Amino acid sequence: MNGILNWILWLPIIGMIGVILTPKAKESVIKFVTLLTTSITLILSVLLYLKFDTSTADMQFVVKIPWIEQFHINYFLGIDGITMLMTFLNALLFFICTLSSWTIHKNVKAYFALLLMLQSTVFGVFFALDFFLFYVYWEVMLLPMFFLIGIWGGENREYAAIKFFLYTFFGSIFMLVGIIALYYATGKGVDSFNILAHQGGKFTELTVNVFGKTFSFEHLFFWFMFLGFAIKVPVFPFHTWLPHAHVQAPTAVSVILAGVLLKMGTYGFLRIAFPIFPMAAVESSTIIAVLGLISVIYGAFCAMAQDDVKKLVAYSSVSHMGFVMLGLAAMTTQGMNGAVLQMFNHGTSTAMMFLLIGILYERSHHRWIVKPDGSKGYGGLSTKLPKYTTVFIIGMFASLGLPGLSGFISEALIFLGIYQRFTTITVIAVVGLLIGAAYLLWMFKRMFFGEVNPETEEYDDMNAREVFYMLPLCVAVIVFGIYPSPLLNVMKASVGQLVDLLAKF
Amino acid sequence: MIDQLFGFLSYYVPEIISIVLMTTLLVAEAGVKDEHAPRTKIHVYTQLMLGVVLVCLMLNLGAKPLHIFYNAVTIDPFSTLVKIIMTVGTMGAVFLSHTSKDIYSNLKSEFSIMAVGVLIGGMLLASANNMLTLYLGIETLSILSYVLSSFKRDESASTEAGMKYALYGGLSAGVALFGISHLYGVLGSIQFVDMVAKLPGIEGVNLAIVMISFLMFFVGIGYKISLFPFHMWTPDVYQGSPIPVTSFFAIVPKMAGVASLVRVSFVFVQEGSPLAISWIGLILVIAAMTMTVGNVTAIGQTSVKRLLAFSSIGHVGMMILGVVVMNEAGVQAILFYGIVYLFMTLIAFYITSHLSDMYGTDSYDVFRGLIYKHPVMAIIMASVLFSLAGMPPFSGFIAKFNIFSVIIQKKHYGIALVAAINSVIALYYYMKLAKTMIFGTPQGEEKVLGFTTLNQTVIIALFIPVIFLGIFWDSAMALAGNATLFIK
Repeated sequence: MNGILNWILWLPIIGMIGVILTPKAKESVIKFVTLLTTSITLILSVLLYLKFDTSTADMQFVVKIPWIEQFHINYFLGIDGITMLMTFLNALLFFICTLSSWTIHKNVKAYFALLLMLQSTVFGVFFALDFFLFYVYWEVMLLPMFFLIGIWGGENREYAAIKFFLYTFFGSIFMLVGIIALYYATGKGVDSFNILAHQGGKFTELTVNVFGKTFSFEHLFFWFMFLGFAIKVPVFPFHTWLPHAHVQAPTAVSVILAGVLLKMGTYGFLRIAFPIFPMAAVESSTIIAVLGLISVIYGAFCAMAQDDVKKLVAYSSVSHMGFVMLGLAAMTTQGMNGAVLQMFNHGTSTAMMFLLIGILYERSHHRWIVKPDGSKGYGGLSTKLPKYTTVFIIGMFASLGLPGLSGFISEALIFLGIYQRFTTITVIAVVGLLIGAAYLLWMFKRMFFGEVNPETEEYDDMNAREVFYMLPLCVAVIVFGIYPSPLLNVMKASVGQLVDLLAKF
Repeated sequence: MIDQLFGFLSYYVPEIISIVLMTTLLVAEAGVKDEHAPRTKIHVYTQLMLGVVLVCLMLNLGAKPLHIFYNAVTIDPFSTLVKIIMTVGTMGAVFLSHTSKDIYSNLKSEFSIMAVGVLIGGMLLASANNMLTLYLGIETLSILSYVLSSFKRDESASTEAGMKYALYGGLSAGVALFGISHLYGVLGSIQFVDMVAKLPGIEGVNLAIVMISFLMFFVGIGYKISLFPFHMWTPDVYQGSPIPVTSFFAIVPKMAGVASLVRVSFVFVQEGSPLAISWIGLILVIAAMTMTVGNVTAIGQTSVKRLLAFSSIGHVGMMILGVVVMNEAGVQAILFYGIVYLFMTLIAFYITSHLSDMYGTDSYDVFRGLIYKHPVMAIIMASVLFSLAGMPPFSGFIAKFNIFSVIIQKKHYGIALVAAINSVIALYYYMKLAKTMIFGTPQGEEKVLGFTTLNQTVIIALFIPVIFLGIFWDSAMALAGNATLFIK
């Protein structure tokens, strides 16, 4: 059973090689190879879930092989409760994205090869417990994304791809400096690249000297790491790459970007920034909470102003990831649990939204709620597309946090958690929820109700393939909205350990 | 006496073979009847001989440090490894020159002659153990380089390049020699060992003279490896020269210069001495300025050759950070960087050269949509660009990682931040080229003639280390680590 992480990690690469070896003309073979790979990965991750021991916060299914002995770098994998959820989310979304990418006809081979490579690198980021390995995966992940956005994206794709790449690289290079500083701070010993060995507040006493000024080691490198992760989340004011990347990216890539890649940022806080620098994290929690709050409110207002429905959902991601940051800043059991749960729930609900927009785009070839010339882009879709409208309603309400659907539980937990520490911020953040409801409902009204737009009359409703891949997500947002325990149980021990650690500072 | 001179010749085999090669090439070229004949045999002969040199050097790698010819020359693993890098670089440039249209058909074997000559100068420089050998090395290297850079005789840009190179080179060599002569005046010797022994006793005015003389001497080396502010010649010379020459310049003289900088730093500068503080401070500032100027200027370039020239300035700035830390790990990082830089540079120039031969220009446009015409070449070029920018899983990342690692170990966080920001700038301009290649649509359907099976095989073979050293780098690191023996 111990090798299962290896399988999950390398299976997409095997699939990628399979795709590369398939002749270019056999597009359907390529698609089926990808589908086969992603479905086996999904099955393996379900198996992983079944075998997962929820009673412990320790790393499970650990694989540790020496890689570069001179630097004590290891090929070191393992998962805990938080990663378990992310693993499952990643496997699920890639499976769905493969199905949703069935309509891709441009450079099919390269597209699916890159998609599989992306999946492997995302797993790598979540599994890696060695800092060097983590950084390598964190960076390599940018390459397939860069090409996926840049080749298969919309009109302004090159700009979006470069912006995405540069922003993330900028953050991660600071992270690299932090990683190396940690390596030397722990004396180059056998565990110097071991993420787990650094955890627990071991650097509170150290100081560093930069340009003649003395800083606390803990604070300086906490902010270095913060920069790397905050750009990824993205937290205001580092969010400006996100709308461009989302709007230009093809549907499946948007889904992956919003569904899992953004979670890598918050995962970084949970696994690295908070446990390694707990003192700095606790002392900076107000700043994090305020930044999270600004993301929530500002993201929601930006979303409201959009005429492009995809951009609207992109900004809503900024807003929803702001909630995750609020939950993290709370540093209480409910808040942290809510944050991790929100990571998962936002993954499913935003994936639904992006997939639905993609489905509509394939019919209309535009995404305007209101076209630049002032005329309506859509209108009265509900009368013509009943299935589509039903799924859209589920996705939208899950996204705005209607009780009974998944978004509600995580947001409620976050508010419960943060109220204990930052009352004012909680009160303002609730307004964000309200604005969230407003922009989503307003969008819904403009697109689905009212007079039927003559342009939209010819649209077909969702076909069987589309229904098939939307179904698991619908089930997820409904089931986990009513009964979130399967998710909460898995993460409980791991989150509890982190909260206990932070409580000491 | 005789023993002193001839007894050690056996350690000098690589240099001797190179000299023999150079002279025999002269004779062979004289025997060519048709001026424009493709000198395939001559090139094969050159490659074979350089291969022999390479094998001799590899066999020498394990040897203990040894001073020969009355301490004039040091043979140690450090110099040997640098010589290996330079020899491979020469082989690469000679291979490229065979097909490149940039080298006129009647000058093909002349290129080999000059290149081998520069290599000999570089070898001398890499193992120089007294000031005279060092100066001889610089001059041998430089004078032949001036000729190489003006190889496109009927193009004004190339002539200008040669002229500029010669003027700058002459001046800086003069300044360096001026410094050396003062050092001799104060210290009474040109032998590194004797000079070092006398350094601690120097005080007052003499100390001031020594420090200024070292600064002047630094100008000579700084010019050779195009450090800021002596880098002005680089872009024009790189652009004016034919591409095989440019690729050659980007590797051989640079590595030789870096090697001599490393050796001089470690021989003369003991930690804590008055010289050490100013020397390290100087290199720190110069390195920061060099990489910033190189990278920032590279952004605006439209010619790929010029882009690579500026980026090489940036890389040297990064490399010499390994000197700042004054320990084995720093030298190890420099050498690893050198090995990786060699392969990346060769590939980048190869691909640029073949495209430039095809379209007659080296602007970004010739790269447009390369992925649709030659997918493998485009992927390799893109990978090399990302590697140059320091992205994992390519070896460029490991090279950068090692440099960051040594400077952070010595707690130079400020310079680490400068280097970090430089990586982002570098990524931007490399990405712009990668973008053109992969996202752009090609203007025509035609295949690039330069990408013959042989050329593609060579490029792929050169690409293997770029990937391999990015994932399994311990053996190369051990090799580089072994080469730091000369440090006491």
